[in-house]
Amino acid sequence: MPNSAYLATARAALIALTLLSAAGVEADIAGGAATLDLLPPSWRDDGGDTLRLQALHGQRVFVTMAYTTCHRICPMTMSRLNEVQRGLDVRGTRAEFLIVSYDPTNDDAGAWRRYRTEHSLTRRNWHFLSGTPADTERLARVLGFEFWRDGDHVMHDYRIVELGGDGGVRGIIDSAHSNWQALL
Amino acid sequence: MKRRLRLAAASLYAFGALGFACNATASDKRDDRITSLEEKLDRSLKLIEQLGARVRDLEAERAGAETAAQASQPTPAQQTQSPPTPVQAAQSAAAQSAAALAEQQRLDSVEQQVAQLAAANADRGGRGAGVPLHGFADVGIGNHSANEPDLKGANLGALDIFLNPQLGEHTRSLFELTFEVDEHGDVQSDLERAQLGYQFSDAATVWIGRFHTPFGYYNTAFHHGQEIATSLRRPRFLQFEDQGGVMPNHTVGAWLTGTDRLSDGRLTYDAFIGNGQAISSGVLEPRSGGVEHGAAIYGGNLGYVFGNILNGLKVGVSAFRSNISDDQPIGGITLDRITRVDNAGVYFVYDTDSVEYLGEYYRFNDRDLTDGGASHRSSAGFLQLAWRLVHVTPYARFERAVLDQSDEYFSLQNAGTSYYRAALGLRFDLDEKSALKLELARTKNTDKAVAQWTDALLNYAIRF
Repeated sequence: MPNSAYLATARAALIALTLLSAAGVEADIAGGAATLDLLPPSWRDDGGDTLRLQALHGQRVFVTMAYTTCHRICPMTMSRLNEVQRGLDVRGTRAEFLIVSYDPTNDDAGAWRRYRTEHSLTRRNWHFLSGTPADTERLARVLGFEFWRDGDHVMHDYRIVELGGDGGVRGIIDSAHSNWQALL
Repeated sequence: MKRRLRLAAASLYAFGALGFACNATASDKRDDRITSLEEKLDRSLKLIEQLGARVRDLEAERAGAETAAQASQPTPAQQTQSPPTPVQAAQSAAAQSAAALAEQQRLDSVEQQVAQLAAANADRGGRGAGVPLHGFADVGIGNHSANEPDLKGANLGALDIFLNPQLGEHTRSLFELTFEVDEHGDVQSDLERAQLGYQFSDAATVWIGRFHTPFGYYNTAFHHGQEIATSLRRPRFLQFEDQGGVMPNHTVGAWLTGTDRLSDGRLTYDAFIGNGQAISSGVLEPRSGGVEHGAAIYGGNLGYVFGNILNGLKVGVSAFRSNISDDQPIGGITLDRITRVDNAGVYFVYDTDSVEYLGEYYRFNDRDLTDGGASHRSSAGFLQLAWRLVHVTPYARFERAVLDQSDEYFSLQNAGTSYYRAALGLRFDLDEKSALKLELARTKNTDKAVAQWTDALLNYAIRF
């Protein structure tokens, strides 16, 4: 990309970021190539191993948040992720899928293993992750996942964020952006 | 250069013409010379043509160089300059390199600012943006009001405002402010929950304030926002105190709660103590401002959440004791009468992606402390079965309460009647934040004010 165009992009990102910060919740989508780098770097996956997000640079990544005892919205999210996966398969395209727990206190590796077995989500490019509560909140803020707790309930929305190979936000799937096929 | 070439061509023409004139008188040699001169002239013409072509080429090259120079150095003064010398070219290259370096530094600075802003934005949490406002609301239509069987038509449910500011790593808080419409159509506000807590770990959090009394499962799992519950309304005996319930749903006091992982599953526990409730004007009152005589409620709850085996199942037991006073005038005399309420319950919930089964059963063993300690036994329970389909959840519920009317705890409560209710319902999830619920229910009061009726109810509930 020519320097002038790169500079213009960076300026636009700066202005957009500033405006979004002032606007509130949606501000927490950090556009541009730095998004993946802004996320907490290491997570525990359902195998008990550490997944470092730096290793995903250069790959398309679909990120969502869920928790194992959610029976209303999260199943819908998983269903949509499955549709995205099938769409990518048809096109012969590869991507990584990250499912990050809203409820790391209860969703340990064992809980995630049960979840993916019970829901037949066994693809190796799907990573079910848990982190510390602080890391969970930070990831949610950076990627625009709004959630809050009331007892055992986690109030949250249906949302999937796609990061491009450069680590920047490439697209969003939620109730306001339902044309997920366009991202494929 | 162009001028020199033209002079050379003219000289050649002149030379040829002069040579032709000087040799015109020699007849014998004339033809030879003429032939020779013609040959020279032909060669000269060819040379002239070659030189002309070369001039055109040079002119084209120069025009191209001038255009390029104009594009890179647009000032008029520079356009008129002669081609740069090697020193000038070196200086120009150095200047261009410096400009590119400056632009790169500027770009790096902008990128750094973007990264710093994004990182700061991610780090600031909810603190910079204030306290998020969440809430629930619902409205209804029916041949009866959901909680007031004597009313019918359209009705407002509740506007339930939630605040749970993040105050620190261990400090917790939760406030639930509800606006509801009473049977007279007046808007009533109530601070349903106001609790401050300190979380030592997952295994222990202490709350102080007004909270949902942790008996059974339903009372702490579902609050005043109806959107999160599958059914259109709570089981009748578990309705909140001012909506027809007979249980002390709210306690003002201290509450210790936590969870502990076991090899396969989790153990949950609750222990609490607070102000003993009072019956005032026929309605249970949590005594949020304190009590006069030190009457207290205390109790606990122990549950087990299954892991691999029977994943989704939770079972538990709970119990509480409360000295509950009432100021109801009896025989024209108002006395502080106290009933000691002993309650024990068992519950289960089986919650998966495909079903939601709930069941609770409570036994009361109450003692009248004012009149010599007569004891009274009562019971209440419900079973609810729901099946989660795509966007639709049909459910069925059966409730039964057998409440001893000689027990002042029940007889002095307006809603303290024995009853049964059978209900069938449908919940439609319109989107992730709103649900439309339909319920058909048959209710029969079996003592106190004997009556029976059938409800056909619609409720539209949202969260935000």
